[in-house]
Amino acid sequence: MHGYALVEVIKRTSDNLLQVEEGSLYPALQRMLKSGWVAAEWGVSSTNRRVRIYRITPAGRKQLERKVSSFERMLQGIARVMGTSES
Amino acid sequence: MRILRYLLRRRISQQEAAAEIEGHLDERATELMDAGIPELEARAQASREFGNLALLTEESRAVWGWTRLEAMILDFRLALRGLRKNPGFALTAILTLGVGIGASTAVFTVVDSVILKPLAYEQSAKLVAVWEHAAAIGGEAVGPNPRHVDVWSQRANAFSGLTSFSQGVRGVSPGAESPRPVGLVVCQPNLFQVLRTVPRLGRDFRADDGKTGGPAVAILTHAAWQGLFSGDPGVIGRVIRVDDMPREVVGVLPEGFHFPNGNTLRSFRSVEIKKGVPEPWVFVPTVFDYAQMEWNGNYGNWVTLGRLADGFSMSAATAQLKGIQEQLRQQIPGGGNQKPGSLSASLQSLQEAMVGDSGQGIWLLMAAVGGLLLLACLNLANAQLGRAVSSARDAAVRAALGAARWRLLWSVLIENVVLSGMGGALGIVLAYVGLKLFRTHSPIDLPRLAEVELNPGALLFCMAITIAAGIVAGLLPGVRFASAAPHGSLQQASTRTLGSRNSHRVRVWLIGAQVFGCTVLLLITGLFSRSLLHLLQQDKGFETERAAIAEARLLSKHFGDAVARVRLIDGVLAALRSSAEVESAAYFSAMPLEGESWIEFARRPERQGENVPMVNARWVSPGYFEAIRQKLVAGRFFEERDRELSNVIVSEGEARALWGAENPIGGQLNALGKTFTVIGVVGDSRSTSVKRAPARMIYVHYGYRTPSQTFFIARGTHGAETLPALMRQVISAQSPHVFVARTKTLNAQLNDSLARERFQTFVLIAFGASALLLAMLGIYGVLSYSVAARKQEIGLRMALGASRSSVYALTMREAGFPVAGGLAAGLAVSFWIVRLIDKFLYGAKAVDLPVIASVVLLFASAATAAAFFPARHAASANPMDALRPD
Repeated sequence: MHGYALVEVIKRTSDNLLQVEEGSLYPALQRMLKSGWVAAEWGVSSTNRRVRIYRITPAGRKQLERKVSSFERMLQGIARVMGTSES
Repeated sequence: MRILRYLLRRRISQQEAAAEIEGHLDERATELMDAGIPELEARAQASREFGNLALLTEESRAVWGWTRLEAMILDFRLALRGLRKNPGFALTAILTLGVGIGASTAVFTVVDSVILKPLAYEQSAKLVAVWEHAAAIGGEAVGPNPRHVDVWSQRANAFSGLTSFSQGVRGVSPGAESPRPVGLVVCQPNLFQVLRTVPRLGRDFRADDGKTGGPAVAILTHAAWQGLFSGDPGVIGRVIRVDDMPREVVGVLPEGFHFPNGNTLRSFRSVEIKKGVPEPWVFVPTVFDYAQMEWNGNYGNWVTLGRLADGFSMSAATAQLKGIQEQLRQQIPGGGNQKPGSLSASLQSLQEAMVGDSGQGIWLLMAAVGGLLLLACLNLANAQLGRAVSSARDAAVRAALGAARWRLLWSVLIENVVLSGMGGALGIVLAYVGLKLFRTHSPIDLPRLAEVELNPGALLFCMAITIAAGIVAGLLPGVRFASAAPHGSLQQASTRTLGSRNSHRVRVWLIGAQVFGCTVLLLITGLFSRSLLHLLQQDKGFETERAAIAEARLLSKHFGDAVARVRLIDGVLAALRSSAEVESAAYFSAMPLEGESWIEFARRPERQGENVPMVNARWVSPGYFEAIRQKLVAGRFFEERDRELSNVIVSEGEARALWGAENPIGGQLNALGKTFTVIGVVGDSRSTSVKRAPARMIYVHYGYRTPSQTFFIARGTHGAETLPALMRQVISAQSPHVFVARTKTLNAQLNDSLARERFQTFVLIAFGASALLLAMLGIYGVLSYSVAARKQEIGLRMALGASRSSVYALTMREAGFPVAGGLAAGLAVSFWIVRLIDKFLYGAKAVDLPVIASVVLLFASAATAAAFFPARHAASANPMDALRPD
């Protein structure tokens, strides 16, 4: 998927609840590219434009798992605190 | 691995990132246009939604770049551009730094090669020079009596080897050609064993080489092998003629071997340094016949080296030696009458013996050069401060835009580092050239001169001071830059006061410091110059104008007999006197102004047991005193009839010492193994050295025991320039077995004997002038900047009625304060410093009013000149221009 499409996906999937500053995606993509978590290659988009298509790599998948599990732990923690304060 | 690849494709990655973002914007805009929004509006909206385009693009690129390094490189190129725009400043700065760094490196190389580097012998720290002290000849350190050395080598276990040698210049030729003067060392066969040097070709001396009647051999140095035999690989076994005596070459020394020349290890430590003594090329062995040597005498003819045995320190060895000397004193004839301790010995590390004298001078030079470099850096810093301030707004804007402090500091520092880097490169070139010139045309005879060459240590030193210079010069302005409060600078118009009062005060103090250093330097220079002048102009007791001297070497095979020598002398004198260019000519037995020699005891026969001072004995021909213009105090000069008579002429000092107020004429004198009658008294002369009090002399006619040392003096009718060549011609014409070792005008000899003092003074004058120039530039710089800064204030004053002269006064007063302060401080410190250098000065006192007055005057006029132009610029400014707002 290329950068523009990614922005669209994020907007749609979160039902416009997550308003990401579009541009901030790109430095993030570059950093992930440098760290080797994604790979990119130039291709053609559906609108016949020359775009860079990103693909997650195995190392990236591992990093994703790590980040997702730590995020979930954080959510659990928050939920517990919120839960106890309510009761 | 992937990272590596990406880092290599860095540039491409950055371009791709930028292209990507563009594509995104394009796509969004298209989408909006499809929804019906006009193109311009669509693009604007897409941009807005994207965020801070510039910042995000930068961030994306930054992921791929080494931003720090790139920033530094950018600043570097910026600095180069800035310098290119200011070629005048850049050129002066590079030149100043280049000269300063080059001089420092050159002097440091000399210091390193001559003083610091250990001698090129194996375990050279164990090598010592051994000196004897005999109360009978004054008690100072002299070369020992070889007979005593023989006793030491038998009784002292503190030394693993002792060896004696003497040096001179002899006529040497590889074949039947005419001889050339070459440095020769006559040594005991164990010399190279003590030095632990093994000849590269052939063999070392054997224990019986040099025995009288045995085979005559010689060992050559590498340079001699190249110079005399053109590096012939079959040189071993070839014949070399020394003093017309054939000797077989049995060995050649390795290339890195250096033996000190006759100047460096002198058998009488106090003797003057001769100029132009060549490095020894030929070594000739001799075996001492101790039975023929006297116990009480033969001092100062040989130099003795020793190698300390393992486990013995210098002090332990000295103590042992002193003990042996005491035993010796009691055993030798007449020694028992002398006091205990009247025969003693001392040791000196060989390195110190070789360089000790020049050590001080060289360190002085190093300090002077260091000071000059510091002055140059301070000047550069000052100039940079001025330039930095004018671009202070630049820095303020950059700081306001978010530049990091290190970035600002770096951008100033890099310019100075670039300047000093180029200055350093120039400096190395200058140092190389300078050292080359110094080696070939050295104004003074430095020990180990041949070992002076640009080595890696010196290059490292050069790099270190280059970087240090850059940092010193850039630090002050850099720190100011980095702490620039953008708010204040941005608020001011450009014509108002630039920079804070603080920076101005710093610059004023810098000026004061420069003036201080300069004053001290100039004062010392003045004193040295006066000292030199005094030496040259004082009454020497003889005249050097229009005279020339020549030294002739008589080959001993043909002139071993005194009669032959006398015949030669007579022949030369007759030929010289018949020339129209020569007013008077004479023979004498020792080179003038090369210290005391032929030191003898001279006593009145009726006062046998008296303790008398030593005298210098000289053999002269009639006409000598007239030729050299010494005064006749009493009696008469030598005449032709004195040839057969036993007459002596004494110097004033000797007459006073022995006869007091009585008339010495007609009195008797025991000297040189004979009783003489005094027929004349001549005035004291400083013919041995102009730096000391006149020595006591006795003169005898050359007919008595004519020595082999042969010198001629000729006084010209018109001038002395043609005399040396004439004398050479006449002397060589007398006999093919005579060669002229050297010939020069007497004035040249006087100058050569003062070579060290002249060199010191020359160096000091050069430094003083450079320092003064730098100080002037500094004053000029500070004042012009200050005038520019105060343009509005001055304009206001003039509009309100101030006269031009008062504006002059206003400007120059600014310079006056630091200059006056620096001068006063400099003078105060000088009084103290002069006490330290007292022993280098002759006849000049510490508080020398004319010198002080001239230094103050010089500085005052220099400062005025430097301040004049900015002042004039200020006074001639149009008040309206100054008052007009930015």
